[in-house]
Amino acid sequence: MTRQTAAQYRMRVWLLMAVYVALIFFVWPYAKTAASLPLRALFALLPTVPVIAVVAVMMRHVMRSDELEQRIHMLALGIATAIVCVGSLVGGFLAAAHVIVLGGDVLLWVFPLVCVTYGTSRWWLVRRYGGAGCE
Amino acid sequence: MNNRVRELREGKGWSQGELAERLDVSRQTVNAIETGKYDPSLPLAFKLAKLFRKPIEDLFDPGE
Repeated sequence: MTRQTAAQYRMRVWLLMAVYVALIFFVWPYAKTAASLPLRALFALLPTVPVIAVVAVMMRHVMRSDELEQRIHMLALGIATAIVCVGSLVGGFLAAAHVIVLGGDVLLWVFPLVCVTYGTSRWWLVRRYGGAGCE
Repeated sequence: MNNRVRELREGKGWSQGELAERLDVSRQTVNAIETGKYDPSLPLAFKLAKLFRKPIEDLFDPGE
């Protein structure tokens, strides 16, 4: 990996997340009030565009990382996936048994939850391998 | 696995950052290799051996 790309990567992610927040605040509310169904679908799905772009930027970053960094990314992603999958399964079973009530919008929390658990796992793994911080 | 990377690097007067740059890896990776927390892949081990002009078995010892 070219070492100088870390700052560029961070800037791209922050920029795309800023676009995402702007869409959530200024566009997504119209998803509930727009007159036609296609327009509602368009407004509802528009915030996913910067998220998909973030995923693409992250994938490129991982591919350009060196072998230890890639190992850390993959382990962190594995831990995050396992935690979120088990959490979803527990929630799903409890909801199916009518123990708890979950609306469909709970799915909105899957991606942020993966990001948080991935970030935490990565921080822990970087420390475990003797690193000082996350890139 | 034990290795002599730190000893050889210091012998050349390089910092971990300098060695990382020569190998095109992060400083964290060099540190993890030196402290034995991470065993490099075969291509990276050969890159290290080539850089220090030593046979690979001079750098790495599988130990027990």
